[in-house]
Amino acid sequence: MTDETASFSYYRGTKEPGFATRTELEAAKLFDYHRIAWEYEPRTFILEQDERGNILEAFTPDFFLPDLDLFIEVTEMKQSLVTAKNRKVRKLRERYPDIRIKLLYRKDFVRMAQKYGL
Amino acid sequence: MTVLPPPTTSSYGARRRDDRIGETYLDSTTIGERVQELGAEITRDYRGQDLLLISILKGAVFFMADLARAIDLPLEIDFLAISSYLHEHGQTGTKAIRFLKDLDRPVKDKNVLVVEDMIDSGLTLHYIMRSLGLRRPRSLEVCTLFDRPHQRLVDIEVRYVGFQVTDDFFVGYGFDYRQLFRNIPHVAYLRLEPQQPSLF
Repeated sequence: MTDETASFSYYRGTKEPGFATRTELEAAKLFDYHRIAWEYEPRTFILEQDERGNILEAFTPDFFLPDLDLFIEVTEMKQSLVTAKNRKVRKLRERYPDIRIKLLYRKDFVRMAQKYGL
Repeated sequence: MTVLPPPTTSSYGARRRDDRIGETYLDSTTIGERVQELGAEITRDYRGQDLLLISILKGAVFFMADLARAIDLPLEIDFLAISSYLHEHGQTGTKAIRFLKDLDRPVKDKNVLVVEDMIDSGLTLHYIMRSLGLRRPRSLEVCTLFDRPHQRLVDIEVRYVGFQVTDDFFVGYGFDYRQLFRNIPHVAYLRLEPQQPSLF
């Protein structure tokens, strides 16, 4: 997928994004198309540590939209993935209440892309 | 603002014979009553002032026509056409959203009300509002028939909302499926074909 990442205009990261799934790539294209600045996996949040400070669970949302101050996590339709990501997003919100994050499903991007079909 | 009750199996109308059109989500009477309420509210809010309604082609045209007639004020109308991601980017590789048709007249110092059929993520409307804001209207507000605030990515203040709706695909009253069914007078569920609308 790297051949498709070079032409982004609104990517604000420093290294080339390495999208894990096709849906992530399509999400990036959609942000770029709408002239929304975006970063890919810019920050990891610690969700759980033991008493010694060792990290037991962490979460790196897929996107950050700096102009909107919003993290985006993208998920496929598979129920197992949805459930796991929902749990992580919920945990992040509990531990970092000031962080704004939204979980988007593949169908959400389909809907966005269809807007204003002329 | 009205939150819709669960859908009913009300009358389907003559066009029900098309298998792609599902059950009625919102009948034309309910739509008409809400449009009249919105029109009365807008009339009160803009009394004694100028008003320009701007509709985004094509989905909002039917709502715009009914809403304009429900507003008891002298007003202007104009239209914008916005490039579609699926058609522009998907097929020709165009890089960014743009106006395919701009307004016919300047909006500087005018009270502008953008009339939408549906707001969900707000990404496209964000672009429209930024662009219109740069033209320095006296005021810039939004009126939408349908809203999905739970889908919002961009914080946009929406002054007038017809109905908050579910995440289903709809047809009728301006909503289309592959350019069809906009002319159905009510809003119905789109009964998806085996090959669902898809990006990739």
